[in-house]
Amino acid sequence: MTAPTRRRRVLIAAAALAAAGGGAAVLAASVRPGPSPVVAVQGFPRFLAQAAPASWPALGLPGRSAVLYYPPALHPVPGDADAVSVASRGPAGTYLLYLNATPRQGAESLRHWAAFRPQLLREDDASSVHLDAAAAGLAFRGGTGSCVIDDYVSRIGAHHYREIACLVQGQTAASVVVGAAPASRWAQARPVLERAVAAYRVR
Amino acid sequence: MSFIPKHRAAVLGLLALSLAGCGGAAAATHVGGTKPPPPATAGAHMPTRQTPAAVKPSHPAMAPAPAGNPIPQGNGGDHDVDNNGGPSDGDGSL
Repeated sequence: MTAPTRRRRVLIAAAALAAAGGGAAVLAASVRPGPSPVVAVQGFPRFLAQAAPASWPALGLPGRSAVLYYPPALHPVPGDADAVSVASRGPAGTYLLYLNATPRQGAESLRHWAAFRPQLLREDDASSVHLDAAAAGLAFRGGTGSCVIDDYVSRIGAHHYREIACLVQGQTAASVVVGAAPASRWAQARPVLERAVAAYRVR
Repeated sequence: MSFIPKHRAAVLGLLALSLAGCGGAAAATHVGGTKPPPPATAGAHMPTRQTPAAVKPSHPAMAPAPAGNPIPQGNGGDHDVDNNGGPSDGDGSL
């Protein structure tokens, strides 16, 4: 083996090691924050961004940075001033389907979303949280997103919800889209919530 | 005859002493070189400082979720549905 060849091989090996080290660091960073290791979570459904059915109404975030499309059976409900929320509710006022879009407000990032969202739920609204699936690098209409599917029990009322929650980065702004339903109704709710998330459009 | 060797011996002795002195100085410099340990000790803190720096990319994401519940539940705070037992919205808890 000539010296240059050996040197080249050493450089390649070093680069490979560096790359492996970098990957490990990324992995560690992803795993560290939450008890549910992101890398161990499997089974995120196949995601395909697509336009909403023509009959679906739409609500835009301020500045039209994103548009939430929702089934006509859902209706706007109060929420944060800069957010849009729609829901369908049962006779007792329970939430059967819930969709929300909110401009990015904190330090959410695509890279850490799978750790951020469960942690936020844990600290904010939920007495327990379980991360069911996560995915990153998803192509949305107008941007790229990281998503989680998780279930949690609310502190108020101990309601057990399941949600799909995505942080979506557009050309100019990032926002969060959430689709949630009682965990007991997830099988029925999931197709329409995923459809709404798939139709979410950012700019 | 005997003077010259003595002189040479003296010169050699002086040379040896000065060399030893240099060596000592060198050794002292080296000891001084061991002094960097204080900086090195400070350097020993560096990894500790670097660790959070290296970890920072993950922690900033965790930072906004403060310990405790920043938004009062029971129709408190921003009156979101999630403060009343409804599903959680997408706010960053700010």
